[in-house]
Amino acid sequence: MHTPIAPVREPLIEGGKTYHDISEDLCGPTEKAPSLSWIIAFMVSGAVMTFGFFSIAWTIWFGIGSWNLNRTIGWGYDITNFVWWIGIGHAGTLISAILLLFRQKWRTGVNRAAEAMTIFAVMCAGLFPAIHTGRPWFDFFMFPYPNTRGPLWVNFNSPLLWDIFAISTYFTVSLLFWYTGLVPDFATVRDRASGFRKKMYNLLSFGWTGSAKHWQRWESLSLILAGLATPLVLSVHTIVSFDFATSVIPGWHTTIFPPYFVAGAIFSGFAMVQTLMLITRKLLKLEQYITINHIESMNKVILLTGTIVGVAYLTELFIAWYSGYIYEQFAFFNRAFGIYWWSYFGMMACNVLSPQIFWFKKIRRSIFWTFLMSIFVNIGMWFERFVIIATTLARDYLPSSWSYYTPTWVEIGIYVGSIGLFFTLYLLFTRVAPVVAIAEVKHILKTAGDQYIGSKAKGGHNKEETVQESAH
Amino acid sequence: MKQPSKEIWISAQDLRNDPEVLEAAHREFPEESLLETLSGDGAMERVESSRRDFLKFLGFSLGAATVAASCEIPVKKAIPYVIKPDAIVPGVATYYASAWVDGGDVVPVLVKTREGRPIKVEGNALAPLTRGGTNARSQASVLSLYDTNRLQDAGRVQEGKVAYASWDELDKEVGQALAAATSIRLVSRTVASPTARAAIQAFVNARPGAAWIQYDPVSASGLLDAQEMCFGKRVLPSYHFDKAKVIVSFGADFLGTWISPVEYARDYAAGRRITDTANPAMSRHYQVESYMSLTGSNADHRILIKPSEQGAAIATLYNAIARARGLAAITAPSVNDRAAQALSRVAEELLAANGMALVVSDANNPAEQALIARMNEALGAHDTTITFSDYSLQRQGSDRAMKSLVDDMQSGKVDALVVLDGNPVFDAAFGKSFAEGMQKVKTRVSCSLTLDETAALCQWVAPASHGLESWGDAQPKADQVYLMQPTIAPLFKTRQWEESLLVWVGSDQWDRTAEQPYYEFLKKYWQEQLFPAQSKFASFTAFWESSLHDGLLALSAAGAAPTCQMDVTTLAGQISKPGTGEELICFETVNMGAGQFAGNPWLQEMPDPVTRCVWGNYLFVPIGWDGGNAYTMFKGLQDGDKVLLTANGIEREVTIVHQFGLAEGTYALALGYGREVVGTTGLQVGTDTRGWTHISGEGYSRSFVSEVQVSGKSGRDKEFACVQHHHTMGVKGQEKNGETINVDEKTVATIGEGYQGSLVDRSIIFQGTLEEVKGLETRIREKRTAFQSLNEKTLYPDYSDIYQLGHHWGMHIDLSACIGCGACTVACMAENNVPVVGKKEVFRHHEMTWLRIDRYFYGDLENPNVVYQPMLCQHCDNAPCENVCPVSATNHSSEGLNQMAYNRCIGTRYCANNCPYKVRRFNWLDYTKADIFPVNEPRLGQEELPFGADNLTRMVLNPDVTVRSRGVMEKCSFCVQRIQEGKLTAKKEGRPLRDGDVKSACMTACPTGAITFGDLNDKEGRLHSELESPLVYQVLEEVNTRPSVNYRAKVLNRHASLES
Repeated sequence: MHTPIAPVREPLIEGGKTYHDISEDLCGPTEKAPSLSWIIAFMVSGAVMTFGFFSIAWTIWFGIGSWNLNRTIGWGYDITNFVWWIGIGHAGTLISAILLLFRQKWRTGVNRAAEAMTIFAVMCAGLFPAIHTGRPWFDFFMFPYPNTRGPLWVNFNSPLLWDIFAISTYFTVSLLFWYTGLVPDFATVRDRASGFRKKMYNLLSFGWTGSAKHWQRWESLSLILAGLATPLVLSVHTIVSFDFATSVIPGWHTTIFPPYFVAGAIFSGFAMVQTLMLITRKLLKLEQYITINHIESMNKVILLTGTIVGVAYLTELFIAWYSGYIYEQFAFFNRAFGIYWWSYFGMMACNVLSPQIFWFKKIRRSIFWTFLMSIFVNIGMWFERFVIIATTLARDYLPSSWSYYTPTWVEIGIYVGSIGLFFTLYLLFTRVAPVVAIAEVKHILKTAGDQYIGSKAKGGHNKEETVQESAH
Repeated sequence: MKQPSKEIWISAQDLRNDPEVLEAAHREFPEESLLETLSGDGAMERVESSRRDFLKFLGFSLGAATVAASCEIPVKKAIPYVIKPDAIVPGVATYYASAWVDGGDVVPVLVKTREGRPIKVEGNALAPLTRGGTNARSQASVLSLYDTNRLQDAGRVQEGKVAYASWDELDKEVGQALAAATSIRLVSRTVASPTARAAIQAFVNARPGAAWIQYDPVSASGLLDAQEMCFGKRVLPSYHFDKAKVIVSFGADFLGTWISPVEYARDYAAGRRITDTANPAMSRHYQVESYMSLTGSNADHRILIKPSEQGAAIATLYNAIARARGLAAITAPSVNDRAAQALSRVAEELLAANGMALVVSDANNPAEQALIARMNEALGAHDTTITFSDYSLQRQGSDRAMKSLVDDMQSGKVDALVVLDGNPVFDAAFGKSFAEGMQKVKTRVSCSLTLDETAALCQWVAPASHGLESWGDAQPKADQVYLMQPTIAPLFKTRQWEESLLVWVGSDQWDRTAEQPYYEFLKKYWQEQLFPAQSKFASFTAFWESSLHDGLLALSAAGAAPTCQMDVTTLAGQISKPGTGEELICFETVNMGAGQFAGNPWLQEMPDPVTRCVWGNYLFVPIGWDGGNAYTMFKGLQDGDKVLLTANGIEREVTIVHQFGLAEGTYALALGYGREVVGTTGLQVGTDTRGWTHISGEGYSRSFVSEVQVSGKSGRDKEFACVQHHHTMGVKGQEKNGETINVDEKTVATIGEGYQGSLVDRSIIFQGTLEEVKGLETRIREKRTAFQSLNEKTLYPDYSDIYQLGHHWGMHIDLSACIGCGACTVACMAENNVPVVGKKEVFRHHEMTWLRIDRYFYGDLENPNVVYQPMLCQHCDNAPCENVCPVSATNHSSEGLNQMAYNRCIGTRYCANNCPYKVRRFNWLDYTKADIFPVNEPRLGQEELPFGADNLTRMVLNPDVTVRSRGVMEKCSFCVQRIQEGKLTAKKEGRPLRDGDVKSACMTACPTGAITFGDLNDKEGRLHSELESPLVYQVLEEVNTRPSVNYRAKVLNRHASLES
């Protein structure tokens, strides 16, 4: 069997892995006792998450008045965090769905973790709309359920309602997609396990036997879900952007928001993937599966989307000037030169200027710079949402109502707590499921393994036979 | 086949005598039991619990439920009327004509009662004094009635605390003490009631050696004494601001606090209303003052002087007029050059006004007031803008009498002191020496409603009833008497002080057996004194009933104006000399008075119209511009920083606020704050000014002080509560290159020129001057045409034809008529159960006011003009808030109302974000104690219960308006409860709703008639005619929200030659 080999591409799996090596390396973390670094990380993130839940309980008990929002600025940290997390949750589906359709093989190294990240990020995001209401115990009013109040229906004109549909759909499809990918891998773990673990993984793998029919159905389902998920990548943040775009507030009311938000979401999503991957590959010793090539590819996406976002920022400024509408003009003038100027320049520096260093290959392939940039982008994208939400509201139509906003400890607590929740879930995930898709990596081994392609490739049938033997 | 055994059968089996059927016939229930059916084969046999177990479970469940249910659940009793009082129909409001009286301040009102509770006051439209106008203080009076800090019974005061005794005990002991006393002094603020004066007279007549002293916390003694010197009678003339073409006020805050502001405000607005834009005419108003007062903020021109220069300024104007009229000039110190120049122009205008001129002053100096009186006479103001026959009795206090009282007390000549009304230890400039003198008086009694600084130094408190519980009358003007009637029985064991006086003296006019003795006394007085003075009614009963119904009696007053009897030039020596160093002026605010309203949370939380600050008094310090991107702050301080202020040897810490329009070297601070004995709400809120206000060498109280030192930052008010943080809309200054720019727009930016035009080009405020009113008209028309043509280009269907059916509620607000007094904001709080949130929450911008009055400075940076803009829900027909609510909690009615369904609201706050007018108010915390979580209420002051949480204060709630719980959004409803009431009344009477049937609370409260509420579809209505003015615009019309509230542009009558 000779699969086409493109020697120009760098190998995506290094270290001359056999199929057995792959199973060993990737199932390993779920089978061994957790390392000390995992335990420390878990305790820290668990503690932070607990503080977050305490802050949420505080909010529900005392009311939104425990936050520093005011009559002018009705949304602050809450919706900023919501949009930020939703944005982060974009990379996973993009990698798994769109790159699958485009047959990008490098996705296999990172798609599992990225999808997990998506799901956890959407969970963190969903938290904020739920608790930001004045009477969260009545949140169910937002769902169109049959009732005896008339029946009293929800307002289908409201973008907040669209959000509910968009996010719940996105979450459902992402979860299904992620789980579908996990089924054969759970089976692999099951086959290596015994006792109770075997039972549990058997349940989780839905009795996967690895028959050709299973594989065929699995491939079809993956493709269908990829097809379903692809428009969602674009739609979710589009709809989130409608929260602002359909309003009448200058600085929110802009038609550029949907593409701009989507690009920003992918941008921040990839940055978060980078942050997580760089840590994961180090801790779980997966450098040979998540290679510098993967990192470089993602850096290219970051450079592209960061530049798109930069163009959007400049377009906004141009349109504000070109519109001749003083409220719009003032809104953007104020963003740059008003009281919150620091957040605007923080955003510009982190999101537009700094990613430009990725034009240099050396930096694209540098772990240090990549990690630093991923943090920068995450900060920058948080600032972007803060700039859009808080600065815009702080200086709207009537100068008499202008005000300023700084968060209370409760708001910061919930934000930090959501990060704690995210990492707690992610850490649990690394203990339960293979963080790299075993089946998919094995699938590309012969076309992307360094023993087959690249400068160090050994090639030849002998090697291939050894590999096949070890696969059992 | 067997023989059939029966003649009737129900089935073939039955006919056959099938054994199964036979067996079934013996069983009561033909099928197997339901339980057996459900539990399947033999399941019942395996059930271990028996019938006994079932009973056990039942017993346990019942017991558990009983224990759980017996946990303390508040029992609320609703008791129906067994015998329904005649006048009360549950659910229907009853109105009584009465009057709100506070010292010499009188506002004729209608008191709205529900189920016997007074819950709101409205102006009495029949009253010639106010024509239905009110002020914030009278609107807030219902809350003082339900003040938890009121004294509840007669009592002894021991070490500043009240130990309740009984009235019998008090009457016995106080009666004996007064009988034994040889020198009794009764002290009160101005008593406007003729009947009360008769009661006092009865007391004084019966007790030789007794004397009655009236004082006014903010004294008009100098004015009264000057009137006496010039015209021989110690009364105030009536001023007619509507007739004046040129008004000059030296420091008199006649729209806010001076003498009779509600009356003056109405007249003032009438004289400035532009009815015909083709031939516009309005009065011109000059305010000569040292800080931005409410009146000054409405003036066309302000001439800045230091407080101590006021005498010099008056003399300067007098001399200019005297020269022109051939009178002798007076030698007086000179005023600063800029003011002198301006005053010479003012004099020309006054002279040219042809008698239609009016000069007033708040100077408490008889010499200066005599100059004013002489000036007015020389200008021909008598019988045009000033009349004497209908003289005013609103101020009668005498500083000289007060001074001699204090001297007598200090020298031990007084052995009994009865404080009938007022709190002289705190609110009089004599306070400190008054308190010292009180120690030497043997018997001391206070009739205060609450324990105050004066009552705390007395031995006895004989608490008076609240005005809403009392009979009485008030005669603010010689030709107008208003009746006060109780609208509720006294809530506590209190007694009006008039009654107490008559009891103590054992007057023969006192009918102890009567059910309401003072009512009999009052009626008798009216029968004997007032009934003969009128000719309309032949029988006293008809006269009395008519007066009681209307709440007023109009008398005739006629007579020519007197002429000045004295040579005012001899008073030259008494004109105050300009002081040295920096100066402090203490002034009265519209909400706090001289401190008598410190215990009223509505007034504490009503933003001061000029500073927009609440819960405290803040030292006005100057603000300038550094020529760059920042204002120059006083000593580099921020608003809310504290400084130490030293004057008259007294040092106190005071919080600052930067304020435009201060005279150089002047600071200003409001009176009435820093109370030390005042229940809990107003306790130590703000800074006391006692000692800074002092007695001048001539024996008159003086509200300014020279040689003031202000330190650098000494601390920070961590809860600096101000509801507006951006104050300007185009204040202009000159850059170094001589170019005039909008300074505020430059300072909004951190670098560069700022975005010039970003504020002034917004369609929020339209303003102009009388001279260029045509240009203003064109500007409004052009802008509106452009906006409307854009708004028509929409993809959405136009629903305006639907709104043209039935009612479509709308409003018109005339910015030229709005003086910013804040009566509407308090009326709105009272009408709509708007919660009070306290200082800290206002600091966090969590104020709940549905109607606020935005205040913008514009024009010259150093001496700007002011526009007030009442801002409330605009009830947009294309409302941005409505379409974003995910649960449709806010929606549009068929009558154009933007309505809130509080029960449906989950509090996403999206609507508030999307409201361009920022009028939506969110219940951030449990402000009303309506929450399920009891720990969660912000506290006011040091009260044990949060404000409004006790049953007494809750009596003030309007039962027609829902009390909102935490987590829901609320906002102006256009007083939908009043609309419904009006519609129901019309329906019951079988007629269409008429224009004026429905008036919003803000409209009825407004003293100047700036607010008109009505039906936009009523082409005959007053609203429709108001909207025909070409100066009408809508705020942010280009946003296409289609608001129902319309504003009329602000027009000032500025003098071109005074533009600097």
